[in-house]
Amino acid sequence: MAFRDHVQNLTARIGTIQILVFILLAGLGVRLYYLQIVRGDYFAERAENQRVRLIPIPAPRGAILDRNGKLLVDSRPTYNVVLSHEPLKQINVNDRVDDYSRGLHIDRQFVVERLNLIKKQNDFESMVLKENVDMGDISWVESHSLEFPELRVELQPQRFYPLGTTLAHVLGYVGEISPKQLEEDEYKEKGFRPGDIIGKGGLEQYYDQYLRGHDGYRKVLVDSRGRVQAELEVIPPQSGQDLVTTIDLDLQEEAERQLANSATKRGTVIVMDPNNGELFAMASAPSFDPNVFVRGSTTPEGRKQIAAYWQDELRPLYNRAIQGRYPPGSTFKIPMSVGALQDKAITVAHSNVLCGGGITVGNKFTRCMGSHGSPPLDYAITKSCDGYYYHLGLKWGIEGMIKMIGTFEFDKRTGIDLPNEKIPQTPKTWMPWIVKHEGSWKDIRTVYASVGQDTVVMTPISMLRAIAAVGMRGKEFTPHFLKEFRPIGAVGQEGDIAYIPPRPGFAYQHPEARLIEMEPAQWDLVLKGMWGVVNNGGTAGSIKMAGWEIAGKTGTAQVASLGMDKGKNKDHAWFDSFAPWNKPEIAVLSLIENSGFGAANSAPVAKGIYMEYLRKHPHDGVTVPETEVAKK
Amino acid sequence: MAAILEKRRELRDLDWQTATIAILIASFGVWQIYNAAPTEGFWSKQIIGVGIALAAFIAVCMTDYRRIIDAAPVFYAIGLVLLLLVLTPLGAQSHGQKAWLRLPLIGQFQPSEFVKIPTVLMLAKYFGAKKGNVLTFKEMLIGGAIWGGPVLLILLEPDVGQVITYVPILAAVFFLSGIKVRYVVLAVVAAAVMVPTAWYVGVKTGKIKRYQQERILAITNPEEVDPRGYGYHTIQSTITVGKGGLLGLEGETETSQSVLKFLPEPHSDFIFAVTAENTGFIGCVSLLLAYAVLMSRMIAGARQSTDRAGMLVIMSVVCAMAFQIFMNVGMALGTLPVIGVPLPMMSAGVSAILTTFVAIGFVVSVKLRRFVN
Repeated sequence: MAFRDHVQNLTARIGTIQILVFILLAGLGVRLYYLQIVRGDYFAERAENQRVRLIPIPAPRGAILDRNGKLLVDSRPTYNVVLSHEPLKQINVNDRVDDYSRGLHIDRQFVVERLNLIKKQNDFESMVLKENVDMGDISWVESHSLEFPELRVELQPQRFYPLGTTLAHVLGYVGEISPKQLEEDEYKEKGFRPGDIIGKGGLEQYYDQYLRGHDGYRKVLVDSRGRVQAELEVIPPQSGQDLVTTIDLDLQEEAERQLANSATKRGTVIVMDPNNGELFAMASAPSFDPNVFVRGSTTPEGRKQIAAYWQDELRPLYNRAIQGRYPPGSTFKIPMSVGALQDKAITVAHSNVLCGGGITVGNKFTRCMGSHGSPPLDYAITKSCDGYYYHLGLKWGIEGMIKMIGTFEFDKRTGIDLPNEKIPQTPKTWMPWIVKHEGSWKDIRTVYASVGQDTVVMTPISMLRAIAAVGMRGKEFTPHFLKEFRPIGAVGQEGDIAYIPPRPGFAYQHPEARLIEMEPAQWDLVLKGMWGVVNNGGTAGSIKMAGWEIAGKTGTAQVASLGMDKGKNKDHAWFDSFAPWNKPEIAVLSLIENSGFGAANSAPVAKGIYMEYLRKHPHDGVTVPETEVAKK
Repeated sequence: MAAILEKRRELRDLDWQTATIAILIASFGVWQIYNAAPTEGFWSKQIIGVGIALAAFIAVCMTDYRRIIDAAPVFYAIGLVLLLLVLTPLGAQSHGQKAWLRLPLIGQFQPSEFVKIPTVLMLAKYFGAKKGNVLTFKEMLIGGAIWGGPVLLILLEPDVGQVITYVPILAAVFFLSGIKVRYVVLAVVAAAVMVPTAWYVGVKTGKIKRYQQERILAITNPEEVDPRGYGYHTIQSTITVGKGGLLGLEGETETSQSVLKFLPEPHSDFIFAVTAENTGFIGCVSLLLAYAVLMSRMIAGARQSTDRAGMLVIMSVVCAMAFQIFMNVGMALGTLPVIGVPLPMMSAGVSAILTTFVAIGFVVSVKLRRFVN
């Protein structure tokens, strides 16, 4: 020290300050060592996690085509507003509800649900907030990118159903996986996440795993506000496989037209190839527009429309062909006849059974529509003689009938490749319940069951399968829509991390065909009766066509007891048929709900289908009236 | 002739090493400012700032510090006027504070940064005249008043962070002017008791507002307390520092925390985090060592000073600088609250770098004249 000042001990005081400075700097050094050397890897990972984000690239689902390659369902690119989770973590999401719902014109309640759902997700998940947005929405999102960095607009494939209500029940629709489904093991195992699009109903659901592709992703660098700065890596998606169905769109459209022109505009038409079970058409009316489900779930109007579908008393969402259960009425006489012949309750030589204009069981008389004496089987079928079957049922017995139900597999699903198929109900299912509650199985129930009433309700698809099998002289096929899945190529090179192997194409795998065994002469007798229904003065004689011999059976199924069968409670009109009668190419079932007589209301529908078929597949000697074509 | 000879001697005796270290740190700082925001103009502006600072540094070196200390009252008065002007409509508002002054020709600057120098000079002038006795109560009052003038005006801005950097100046002057050790001990004990008590009372009575509490609490648990505000700054700064590891980025600059804007204020308040990310543990320790060497040389100069005023100037500058380094780096390392204190010679800002270089200029000037009477 240049100036001496021992009183204040200055040298020591300066030294103290110097030591203090060194201690502070050393302390900082220790902290640096801890952060950078001891925990360096941890912080490097945290920094990486906050700047790298995976943005999924949704894979387009496979298209669905008809048997001739006509497009039934497709995916088309749409702009969606996507909400990502990470930027939301730092804000109170409730502040956003009003902004989003006002800015994007979406339901407030939906925004709340979305935000609640995304809060439960991993940091880097994203969900669609609004689908199919227009330019107004896009510019709203872009102009608020500073305010709402969590929103972005993405081009994503959206399912599109160009046919609208046509074929809706068969195709089904797609939608986001529901929270309930996510809980189920079936979906958990496959690694589904909230926001994933899955098939709901119809072929979309049944073949979801093939129609669905493999999502790709973009690995991007984001800044602190979540804005993409650079793309690090792109793993392209693999599209789903295209589904070629057995549907013939022309026949389908004719079926829907016929239903639309029917008396009640409610019912179902199914068209099948009896030689292999391929379904040409399946219509159920009233129908719905699957596009409403795809596009509408985010908008208030769309949600209202979806709710209206669910609440509609006419049940447009329900596929009457496989979920409807109706008393089959007289159409049930065909399997009855086959069963009774198999069981030898009647024989080809002695098939006559008394009609008697009806039957008295106990003190109750149940009448036949006419008085047919003691007709043979073929005549009973052709004229639809109830009395014949009342007596046959009692003679044969309920046990024989239950055996027949097993033979035709009316106690099982047909195995059609659609979800939610119902099983018919028959005396076989009702017997234990009735014996328990009523003490015994009464003869009157056997009488009713013989003509397809009371304890018998059938799904149209199981009825069609049975009638087609009769046309095929016992050969029974599983009805189905799948013709083939087309193959799809691999993504990337083998050995890459991102490599997705190719998916091979495949055709429908037929379950083993069943055979209902009977003597040729026995088949001849049944078929003769069915031929007569149309061609020999039978109940459906009005649809007789020159050169095209249809075999079939009408049915008029009671909904309410006689005298009450008016208006809403009118009978269901059935017509089950195939043609040509001796070498069937096509089987048609039509059912018009609450319209009255089968012959009058249902048989002409089938005729319309046959004519459309013949127009597409001309047969020698068969002329299709021009007027029908002109009508189109 | 004599003047030329004197200049030559001055150049020979000039403490080139102190000057070199300071320039090296400042250049290193420019590089880090570039790393913080390569696409913005902060780094080029800082180069100009360093240039101005060097010119001022040389001018101060060449001037006899004793003449400047003699003129201290004038500078002090100018300083107070500038601080008053800040509070007038001439002051510019930023981040809710009026800390800037916008003047024609000169442009925008921060008087509270510059006024440290007249404050130090004024204190040095008053206490430098003092004889070697124990600090009296009256002297403490006068010293407190000299210091309190600018501090009060800065509090009105209000810029609490800047006021905190004035505390070590007064502490150093009192300590080296013979304050009784028992007072020092008493002050430390009182602080140890009073601060927690004040905190407790403040929180209970609501005098310390919620956001102010969060600013403090965020240090102990940034992930839980205020993770969007000050906690976010602390979290991001800690991540940035830790990510640097041993050697730093090694070239991956385009994905750095500051370029992606995860790190707030990377070119100014959090320049140390940028340094840590880019140059790693090696770079950070080198920087801290450079500061240690610089301050050691300054303290050595203080020991050689021929008069008390020179010694007080140097030690006040050292204490203020050491304190600022500790506050700033401590904040970047997530151990101290987020208070906007610039890192000497590193943070972007012309006012700050100019002030620091002028202060170092005084130190060099004092050292230069250690042989003259």
